[in-house]
Amino acid sequence: MPLETVLIIDDEPQIRRAVRHAFEDDRIRVVEAANGRDGVDRAAAERPDLIILDLGLPDLAGIEVCREIRKWSDAPIVVLSARDSDDEKVALLDAGADDYVTKPFSTPELKARARAVHRRVPRGASIETRLAIGDIVMDLAARVITRQGEPVHLTPIEWELCRVLMSHAGKTLTHRQLFREVWTGRAFGDAQQYLRVYVGNLRRKLETDPVRPKYIRTEPGVGYRFATHGEVESSS
Amino acid sequence: MIRIRWSHWGIWLVVFVLTTAALLAVRSRLDKAHVALLYLLLVLAASVAGGRGLGLVVAGVAFLAFNWLFLEPYGTFTIADPLDWLVLVTFLVVGGVAAQIVHLLRAETAEARQRTEEVDRLASLGARTLAHPRAADALAALADMIRSTLSLRECRIRATTDLGASTDEIVPWVAQTGLAAARLADGTVRLAESADPDSLLGDAVTLLLPLSAGDTVVGVLELVSDRPIALDQKRRQFLAALRYYAVLGVERVRLEAETANVAALQAADRLKDAVLAAVSHDLRTPLTTIKAMAEALAADGDERAETISVEADRLNRLVADLLDLSRLRAGGFPIRLELNPVDELVGAVLQRVAGILGGRRLVVSLPADGPLVVGRFDLGQSIRILVNLVENAHKYSPPDAPIELTVTVDGGDIVMAVLDRGPGVPESEQGRIFEPFYRPADALPDGGGAGLGLAIARWLAETQGGTLRYEPRAGGGSRFVLRLPAARLDHLQESL
Repeated sequence: MPLETVLIIDDEPQIRRAVRHAFEDDRIRVVEAANGRDGVDRAAAERPDLIILDLGLPDLAGIEVCREIRKWSDAPIVVLSARDSDDEKVALLDAGADDYVTKPFSTPELKARARAVHRRVPRGASIETRLAIGDIVMDLAARVITRQGEPVHLTPIEWELCRVLMSHAGKTLTHRQLFREVWTGRAFGDAQQYLRVYVGNLRRKLETDPVRPKYIRTEPGVGYRFATHGEVESSS
Repeated sequence: MIRIRWSHWGIWLVVFVLTTAALLAVRSRLDKAHVALLYLLLVLAASVAGGRGLGLVVAGVAFLAFNWLFLEPYGTFTIADPLDWLVLVTFLVVGGVAAQIVHLLRAETAEARQRTEEVDRLASLGARTLAHPRAADALAALADMIRSTLSLRECRIRATTDLGASTDEIVPWVAQTGLAAARLADGTVRLAESADPDSLLGDAVTLLLPLSAGDTVVGVLELVSDRPIALDQKRRQFLAALRYYAVLGVERVRLEAETANVAALQAADRLKDAVLAAVSHDLRTPLTTIKAMAEALAADGDERAETISVEADRLNRLVADLLDLSRLRAGGFPIRLELNPVDELVGAVLQRVAGILGGRRLVVSLPADGPLVVGRFDLGQSIRILVNLVENAHKYSPPDAPIELTVTVDGGDIVMAVLDRGPGVPESEQGRIFEPFYRPADALPDGGGAGLGLAIARWLAETQGGTLRYEPRAGGGSRFVLRLPAARLDHLQESL
């Protein structure tokens, strides 16, 4: 499904214009909404392929808009946020947003993020048994993971972590989301603080250079994002 | 000085005459002892009531009356029985001594009472002085009290910090040396060798006395009179006591001013922080627009638009720094101490600075293969510290010199050092580089930030239980060392 219609919900006309310019260059239709209520209505009426949502709306909190839309739409949502509002970003991602871009953002970055979340495996699609991104191939049925064709040994937790990250490639997963998926049924708390340590160890097994990761990207204060196939290709 | 109260004397004359008349009426039945005792009683009573003078006069008159009226032969001053002389002389001596003793007692009582009054007066004066709602009023009241008590033309109390309007040029000298000084009627100046005015009294018309709190001269007491100032013992004591009050008064004025000053500064500070926060926030939106538009133009091949974009980024960093500073001071900087692998910290830093370094190499060295190095720190804030250090290194280094980022483990600390081959920091400035708004003396006008980076970085490091230090680098350049607490994960490594 190609990216055809983008909805931008922002009360600042200049930002709306900047976003419109960025996407119209690629012949993508941009629908504008200046407040949260209008944004929810437009999302219902226009059925956009992607929604860009600003956090500082005058009428509704961004998280309300996000929850409202998520009740009936799976369209990817990219949040525009101010710097230093990590808690807000995390809350939005937990509420169903797919990614975020920090203001002042660069338009190529916004477009790249938008395309990445749009290309992602859609929600509710049939579960794939094979995940392949860059040199990493995960065969879920055979429970084998290879890097450049060589098998990699993962502990059970690392395996789950890798599976969740790879199956959501392109989407920023918050620490809470990752924890829920990996440690199913466990309370969010003590073990959660070791999540970063598990990710660190996983990186050492998957990445050529763990401090310059190609696959598992850190979104400081928010969570982790597994790079899309396109990102890995362009970075190598 | 003996004041004679004639009415008093008149009363005692009448009492004496009546007593003598009564004695005369029963003279035949009296013994000499009766007369002597009764007269002694009168002498004592007169001494108590009217003082030594009256006592002695009553004793003298009683002596004569005794002789004339009650010692035979009556009506003459001659005495028949020589033993009567003994009676008379003894009477006179006892009367005199009694009058003297009563006098001494009275004097002591009076002195004690006066002392009590003095103490009461000083105490109430002190209380009044300290109780004045405004310190300046209290000081004025104190000066007025000294002026009226010592009968001066003028009395001024000056604070050392505010000598500007003084009429006499020796005032600053007194404030500086802490020694007393005087000006004589002919205009000449005399200086004392101590803070006490005693050696200057007698011919000074102006006295200048230092007001000292401990070793510090906090003010000068200026006494001006039309006549040479002569102070008796009591007035000198009074003056000495009031000098202490004057010290307290001057100190109070100073403290009051300081308090007002601090309050004003705090209010200004709050306003400044609020303005900073509002301005930085409102700058974000136009910056986003400028950047987006410039990038759109740059994509079409306009090189000037690229510059606009880069500058917008720089402006954004500056705004972010200012916002951080205002938040940091408001205590609104959330610090989350969590377990974080050093790989992740270094990785995030490399990602952040990639766009800034251009063609410059950043050499990273990590501990040799081993278990994951994990620390307990705030990831986001630690990234900021290191990004700031790398940016600084980039800014001050020659273009072809690589920057080094080394990570080592030292006991319970993770030690991260950023090394450059820049000019380093002169020893005289090493203590100041972590102060807000510090910029090197020779910094280029467009050198970048507002001079907040290192101040914020150090604050962030210390808030996380770490340190940030500067060291000169061997062979030239700077070495900034960030230490963060490491975490032990033995139990976790086993479970992996």
